[in-house]
Amino acid sequence: MTLLDGVKAAVLLFVAAVAQVSIFSQLHVFGAVPDLLLVSLVALALLRGSVAGAVGGFFAGLVVDTANLGTLGLTSLVLTLAGYWIGRYGETTGRDRAHAPFLSVAVVTVLYELGLLVVHFVLGESAPAGAVVRSLVPAIVLNLILTAPLYALARRLLRVVDRDALTAEVQLLG
Amino acid sequence: MLASSVQRSKPTPYPSKARSALIRRTVVVVLVLVALTLVTISFRSPTAGALHDVQGAGSTALRPFQIAATRVAQPFRDAYDYVDGLASAKAENKRLKLQNEELRRDTLIAAAKLAKYPDLEKLLHFEQGPTFPNDYRAVNVGVTSYPGGPFQHTLTISAGSSSGIRRNSPVVSGGGLVGIVSNVFPDTAIVMLLTDSQSFVAARDLRNGVRGIVQLGAGGTLALSQVPKQFSVKEGDEIVTDGTHSARYPDLYPYGIPIGRVSSVGVTDTAIFLQVQVQPLANLGSVDAVAVLVPTKQRR
Repeated sequence: MTLLDGVKAAVLLFVAAVAQVSIFSQLHVFGAVPDLLLVSLVALALLRGSVAGAVGGFFAGLVVDTANLGTLGLTSLVLTLAGYWIGRYGETTGRDRAHAPFLSVAVVTVLYELGLLVVHFVLGESAPAGAVVRSLVPAIVLNLILTAPLYALARRLLRVVDRDALTAEVQLLG
Repeated sequence: MLASSVQRSKPTPYPSKARSALIRRTVVVVLVLVALTLVTISFRSPTAGALHDVQGAGSTALRPFQIAATRVAQPFRDAYDYVDGLASAKAENKRLKLQNEELRRDTLIAAAKLAKYPDLEKLLHFEQGPTFPNDYRAVNVGVTSYPGGPFQHTLTISAGSSSGIRRNSPVVSGGGLVGIVSNVFPDTAIVMLLTDSQSFVAARDLRNGVRGIVQLGAGGTLALSQVPKQFSVKEGDEIVTDGTHSARYPDLYPYGIPIGRVSSVGVTDTAIFLQVQVQPLANLGSVDAVAVLVPTKQRR
């Protein structure tokens, strides 16, 4: 990942985080909120690997927590793990699969929402499990709608790199 | 050759890739630990401390970007609100129309009930008043059908033998006597009106006690017949049921139920009885609710 790529990725995530906090967080559709930031992070992680995903998730989470004046590090924690996991999926199983972005977004939406729920619960904050579970399906649908254009935009911003360079632990024997 | 042991080369450790994996794991572990540290510090001192100040400063720095994003999104939000408002307005319009129809229907029902109220009030007043006959109980029922023409002088009421109504039970409304039950079914009954040609009610003038029979007179009006000419009956006198005078011949109607008022009195030289016309107090053509007087004691 070049410096320019890093800057582009940072800008992408920063804009996505600001838009998420300022605009998308107010769009309630069937009880769910479309998560532009999460979809952007998935796109970045799939295109640039687990380290970029983890760092990007941490960075974006910090922006969100700072803008919301919430518990600092909470969103970072969950997004770091989400970015890392999706990055690993992109480096290994999901490589060159057309459905990888959509599958990743669907799965990570569930894990992200449940992860946030668990963290909030552990911290003793409000954790409305029923509302979160009810909003899961609409959230998945909304995020899937965002996936195609955002992934295309991310691909345009971040040129595709050699996949083999990303697959650090998958080695073909023979 | 085959039996000889072959010295295998040591597996290549892929040093660059192993290092990459180590770096990757180190990065994610460090990030998670930093995040957990931030969470801990932020959670333990949410309103004070260096981290709080840094967060406040960061929030202040982010504010212009948020404002810019909000302004950029404002036209789209306005458009969305407009479309959403239109959709909501249509839905609300439909809902309000339905509500309006329901309210109109409720108003009509209420008005219809209100129109019956005076009759019901009179009926209740009669049942609770001193003129209500002893040894009777009232079965309050609604009228389901009215006289269909000049040749029909019956009502159908919405209760029958299952409610204790029996044949020949007197029927009253808030105004006065309506008639008598002529036929009974389990859940309905037929009431023969005073104006039926088969109806005969022993009655008396409340003012002077002159007795007679209230029955259908000439021209379809009620008449108090069998009143000798020597008695004085005046216009406006109130006519009530006469009741039983002999236990051996009990009357179908208890004493004192208002029947009507004398509307005219005629005398002819050739007739031996007065010609007394009676205006019924009950509105026999449009009574909505009646009370059937059921004897509480078994008649012989």
